[in-house]
Amino acid sequence: MPVNAEIEATPAVEPEDQSRLITDLIAKIAPLLPPQGPVSAFTFLNVLEALEELPFEEGVRKGARIFGCRPYLAEDQYQRHLANGRIHRADLLIELLTDLGERSHEQIGSLGPLLHLRTAMLSHPLRSGPVEELRWFVAETDALTKMSPEAPLDMRERMISSTRDWMNQGVKNASETTEGKKSVASHQRLLADLMEHFGDSSSWNSDTWEEISLKALWRICREGVHGVDVPWQRPSLPVRQHDLLLEFTGVDSDALVNDLLIRFCASYADQGLADWALPNRAEGFFRAFVELFRQRGGPPDRWRQNLGVELERMHATGVSPAESIQESLHALGVPAEEWEEYLTATVCALKGWAALLYQMEVRSDRVPIPAREGTLLEYVAVRMILERCALQYVAQTTLPESVPLSELRSYLIARVRAHRLSSIEQRALSVFQLAQVLGWFPATLIQLTRDQWTKLVTEIEAFGNLERRRIFHNAYERRYRTKALDAIAIRAAMPARRVERPRFQACFCIDAREESFRRYLEEIVPDVETFGAPGFFSVPIYYKGVADAHFAALCPIVVRPKHWMIEEVVSGLEETHRTRAQTRKVIGTASHRLHRGSFGATAGALLTASLGVLASVPLVARVLFPRLTAQIRRSANSYVEPPRRTRLRLERKSVEPGPEGDGIGFSLPEMANIAERVLRDIGLTHNFSRLMIFFGHGSSCLNNPHKSAYDCGACTGSAGGPNARALALMLNDPRVREILNSRGLKIPADTIFLGGLHNTGDDTCKFFDLDLLPDSHRADLASAEKTLADVCRRNAHERCRRFQSAPLNLTPEAAHRHAEGRTEDLAQTRPEFGNATNALCFVGRRERIRGLFMDRRCFMHSYDPTADDENFSILGRILAPVVPVCEGINLTYFFSYIDSPGWGSGTKLPHNVASLLGVMDGYQSDLRCGLPFQSVEIHEPMRCLFVIESTPEAMENIMARDAVVRRILRNNWAQLALLDPHSAEIHWYRKGEFRIYHPESLRLGIAPTSLSWYQGHREHLEFALIEDAFVKPEYESRTSPSGANHGS
Amino acid sequence: MTFDQIYDLLGMIVVAAPALLVATLGLSSLVGRPLPERVIGRAVQFAIVTGLLASLAILALMLSHGERHVPVDVGQWVHFGESHHAEHPPEEHATSYHFAIKFVFDRLSVPLAILTFLLCGTIGAFANRYMHRERGFNRFFILYAIFVLGMIVTSLAGTIETLFAGWELVGLSSAFLVAFYQERPGPVRNGLHVWIVYRISDAALLIAAVIMHHYLRGHGDFDSLLGVDATHSWPYIESKVTADQAWSVGLLLLLAAAGKSALIPFSGWLPRAMEGPTPSSAVFYGALSVHLGAYLLLRVSPLLDTSNSLCVAVIALGLASSLFAVFSGRVQTDIKSTLSFASLAQVGIIVAEIGLAGLLNWQFLRYVALAHILGHACFRTLQFIRAPMVLADYAIMENAIGDRLPRGAGGIGSRSASVTQTWLYRLALEKGYLDSILSAFIVEPFLQVFRACDGWERRWTDFLSSGPSRESDKAKIAPAAVEELI
Repeated sequence: MPVNAEIEATPAVEPEDQSRLITDLIAKIAPLLPPQGPVSAFTFLNVLEALEELPFEEGVRKGARIFGCRPYLAEDQYQRHLANGRIHRADLLIELLTDLGERSHEQIGSLGPLLHLRTAMLSHPLRSGPVEELRWFVAETDALTKMSPEAPLDMRERMISSTRDWMNQGVKNASETTEGKKSVASHQRLLADLMEHFGDSSSWNSDTWEEISLKALWRICREGVHGVDVPWQRPSLPVRQHDLLLEFTGVDSDALVNDLLIRFCASYADQGLADWALPNRAEGFFRAFVELFRQRGGPPDRWRQNLGVELERMHATGVSPAESIQESLHALGVPAEEWEEYLTATVCALKGWAALLYQMEVRSDRVPIPAREGTLLEYVAVRMILERCALQYVAQTTLPESVPLSELRSYLIARVRAHRLSSIEQRALSVFQLAQVLGWFPATLIQLTRDQWTKLVTEIEAFGNLERRRIFHNAYERRYRTKALDAIAIRAAMPARRVERPRFQACFCIDAREESFRRYLEEIVPDVETFGAPGFFSVPIYYKGVADAHFAALCPIVVRPKHWMIEEVVSGLEETHRTRAQTRKVIGTASHRLHRGSFGATAGALLTASLGVLASVPLVARVLFPRLTAQIRRSANSYVEPPRRTRLRLERKSVEPGPEGDGIGFSLPEMANIAERVLRDIGLTHNFSRLMIFFGHGSSCLNNPHKSAYDCGACTGSAGGPNARALALMLNDPRVREILNSRGLKIPADTIFLGGLHNTGDDTCKFFDLDLLPDSHRADLASAEKTLADVCRRNAHERCRRFQSAPLNLTPEAAHRHAEGRTEDLAQTRPEFGNATNALCFVGRRERIRGLFMDRRCFMHSYDPTADDENFSILGRILAPVVPVCEGINLTYFFSYIDSPGWGSGTKLPHNVASLLGVMDGYQSDLRCGLPFQSVEIHEPMRCLFVIESTPEAMENIMARDAVVRRILRNNWAQLALLDPHSAEIHWYRKGEFRIYHPESLRLGIAPTSLSWYQGHREHLEFALIEDAFVKPEYESRTSPSGANHGS
Repeated sequence: MTFDQIYDLLGMIVVAAPALLVATLGLSSLVGRPLPERVIGRAVQFAIVTGLLASLAILALMLSHGERHVPVDVGQWVHFGESHHAEHPPEEHATSYHFAIKFVFDRLSVPLAILTFLLCGTIGAFANRYMHRERGFNRFFILYAIFVLGMIVTSLAGTIETLFAGWELVGLSSAFLVAFYQERPGPVRNGLHVWIVYRISDAALLIAAVIMHHYLRGHGDFDSLLGVDATHSWPYIESKVTADQAWSVGLLLLLAAAGKSALIPFSGWLPRAMEGPTPSSAVFYGALSVHLGAYLLLRVSPLLDTSNSLCVAVIALGLASSLFAVFSGRVQTDIKSTLSFASLAQVGIIVAEIGLAGLLNWQFLRYVALAHILGHACFRTLQFIRAPMVLADYAIMENAIGDRLPRGAGGIGSRSASVTQTWLYRLALEKGYLDSILSAFIVEPFLQVFRACDGWERRWTDFLSSGPSRESDKAKIAPAAVEELI
């Protein structure tokens, strides 16, 4: 039967309106897709960004339903955390109390308050599962002969004695203790059955009594739940026929569709991996598909025998993609009121590829070969045509009767619903298990009335798996939040001293990885000051380095840069540059030819048969001696790499910015604005040191398609060196300083700014434009460099405690070599852990928390609340990017950890780069979004806790005017606490209001150095005060350093 | 100690090293105490280095003494029927059977054994770090050890049974490694696909073995079959079997080789085998096991000399596979598929070289084919383990060239594609429809026959029990864990 025979029902609405309706629907659905562009520029955004209008708990629930991924960790994972002390029982109780409010003391019959029931349900996992499994559990295990191992120790004795009393008493005057004739009768029947089954009561030992109690209990539970009138809670039926068919017959029709569709999507999206490009690509996704598959002479696959005919018809009649979707919806028998839900499920069925096509469409600036507008719509049209074929075929071959495609859905819904009948076993078993831990004995339960049974079952089922995990999760977050706020409160109560005229100052990215780096800097030379700001340093640019072929966007993903910047060699070196560029070009062309040739037959044969064996040398060398090979490669590269002395083309000559010639760079007023903004944001308006270094950061590693996820998140997966370099140049410009001076920001003449780059992979630092450094500052730099080298070693050492393959007894030097080795190893899947374990974000003055060991878990942005105006405009403009950026990073790790194969991209070992844009699992799969498991392995999934040095009024003010910040904080996609600028008082934001936070503990560990605190530990560590990192009073007068500690 | 004893000792070490590795890793898992990562790494290192040193020692001894053919006999394990003296195998003994394990070190097997140790050793070291903390680390290395053992046994096999044993070990471990991520349906489906193709090729090899045993000289012993003696050794040997015998056995062996080396029409499995972790894809399908078919043909190459039509068939199959691989490889958009088709292109050419050597009776080409196998294996392994780096490599090349990389010269893909071009593109994209054709014309009819038989049986049993007779019909499909989402 041809597929198009199903299209008969003429829609009541005008077809054009329906087409527009469908286009609008797709446009509405599209933002739900994961915001994941090319993997080479990894973007850290909340995967459920489109649901941020909902409160977090509703949002994850809805997102989980749409994508079929987990909203929280699995219950047994939380149980393990409860067992190992990561979750405290006290926290669980508090969370339950807060959640229940006044209801917590509500009584369920004579069984005790609701709170006890819920506590028991959290502490003792209830067995649940398919009916068959539960029946087996009851019939075949010792569930009805031995008390549950979960039950308290004395429960067995209590149960037996209660049962003994009850039976002795019950036989005599059962009719007095129960009401109603029916229950009396059943009560008597139960006792009679027990007596009959177990015979003479004189021979009963305690084991028999145990068995009798449990059998009686089970029977009472079964009878009790039998008559209750509680609606069954069932997950709603899936909307797509595929899911229904899969549940009903076990056959996966999407396997057919996806096999073809993935191949086609990859061809359409390909950026040049394949030699031959997709024919008719310029005509768009839909037309290219129709042209490719409408021809005769296709494969003999039975499921798509009608595809050619159908596509030929579409080709002949010129059906538009939206019209085609409409046809498919009718053919598939989807009523108009369900279109949105149905199309959402269809779009998300292959979320990775759909998301990539959508990103290629809307962020055409991020890919070399973009997709045209409407590609997602065309994709949906193609998908639905294929689904029609696949569904028809699978239905024909697997269902017992012939069902027309348009009725398939209602047919399956009716059968799946019947198939999903719930059993009373689950209900009875829940009560049975709870009875054993809570001490509800047969004598008690048998007296419950039907209303009380109804209430009991309702309450048990109202606290289902998802609800329990929600409470668990809140308790899990609560433990860390309490520790963090306690530690900050204790530290903030101590004096906050700034260093007078510091030895040097350094500003780093807000990145959590820089927390330890800054800490070591302060530990080694307590008279330095460090600052934090987003790593693009307010210089959003398209940047092209001297050896780069293309511009790359160096700014957060939400920003589209308006300026371009290039790097050039200094005059005098152009000739060297030209010859070296020529050499590189020759080598590059040759290696490209070699690469391509090795795929072909003849060139490949000549190559592999003659020189192939030589490949064993690099093969063995790179795998067995990665460091040696890296050194050889580096020295070989030094002959062809561009000259070291280069300049940024900083100042624009023309009025309008552009990617070429005079359009490159910034105008003087623009530079002054950027310079002023950065300094005021980080609160550095006086007390300048002689040397101030801005550090961008990036990471190096091999064999890792997700490398960009280790680079600077504020530069969309690139290294932020050029931004730091540009900012330093701007700040050194005397004309800029003059403008700043006129605006009341005086930079001393002897202050020199320097741009640098911190490599977070191998922990090295490099500096830019050193040839411009005046002689007067050479000594300052030399001393700073020496310090930084030490910092790099210590930082690498702290990082190594997290690597299982690094011994705990490494020296700092060995640890530094270890870290370096990881970045040069082809086989290393964890060159670093990126921002994993991030949990906090502090916005405020460094001196308020300086000396606090935060275990590389805190994003830090410098901000001086005392220098802000009455509108809190500085804080407002800081938070506008910082809140979504940190929340995005945090939730990317959060979701990738919660459900690694679902939200994240699973293990990276079988990853296969597709279309030069993303990774698939193995041979063919949906494109994987999110972070691989190896990057999030040590993470603790918690929503980011923002601690901002500010007041409730300021935050209310900012949330009122900034919709994004408001949405994230008010809907609890991140947590918020405020540290008072003048005291250690903390306000905590919950349910839309600020409340004073009362610290739980006044104790905080103290260690002389970070090393002494973390040494020998691999796990997450507590907060502590690090004495060496405090600003020491004697340093303030710049006397010589001594070993005495006065900080704490 | 005589030279023979030294050879025997070294030969035993070469085979025993991987065998002991399998035993160590396997037994520790069987008793439920998998070894820690570090110990597994050491054990692998030790076994591989020992094996490699022993095979290098054999090579050195052979070179220094001008030996070209060193058999190591492990003895006859099963023997019934008429007895005969081992040194004078009777010409026709349809009634007797003996199962001998024998390894042969010659100019074909020694290089391949060394290559196996070299590549497996490198990949073992690579995987020890790459697989760090992965669930299934232990399973991976057990399969890896079985694979190494299978490769060594196959390459050194002196009798068809020995070869078959190694061949099976390789097939078994490969299929399990394809399905390594058993929690996802894709790898399991594709692992099964690989396994089925391997079974077809195994069946062909087994039938060939039976024929060789019963109807050809030598009872499956390669030396007597192919005519190796004191003065003749591989490849300068002449088989004394007749052209007709060679043709039938040769075709079966060619079928076996085609399955194992993913030649047409079985090519569809090669890209599907890329489901496992990168190192297993690299060493197994990119480098070693995909060459086993070609190696089998090389081993029996004197047989090819006797039948020109067989040689033509080998050349045709090799060239067709190679052309197909280049054609289909041009449109692949993921790096692992691209690499697997590139591999196939070379394997096809290697097979064609072997056929050509037989046709022209040009022994030198056999060395070329062997060198081609060795070179290709090393080169492709390097490309495979660097496959995740393709994005960085492309960026480096683009930066060096200063522009986007030029695409292939083919006319397909231009803006206004002709009907033929579109048709060809589709043919390449769908991998020559090979899988579809196999499934429609072989798998489906096969299934239909068995379903029909099943239908008759059901009707018969229903009739006997006068009602539905199968309890399994009532079994419901286990519902997914729906409770989690309530």
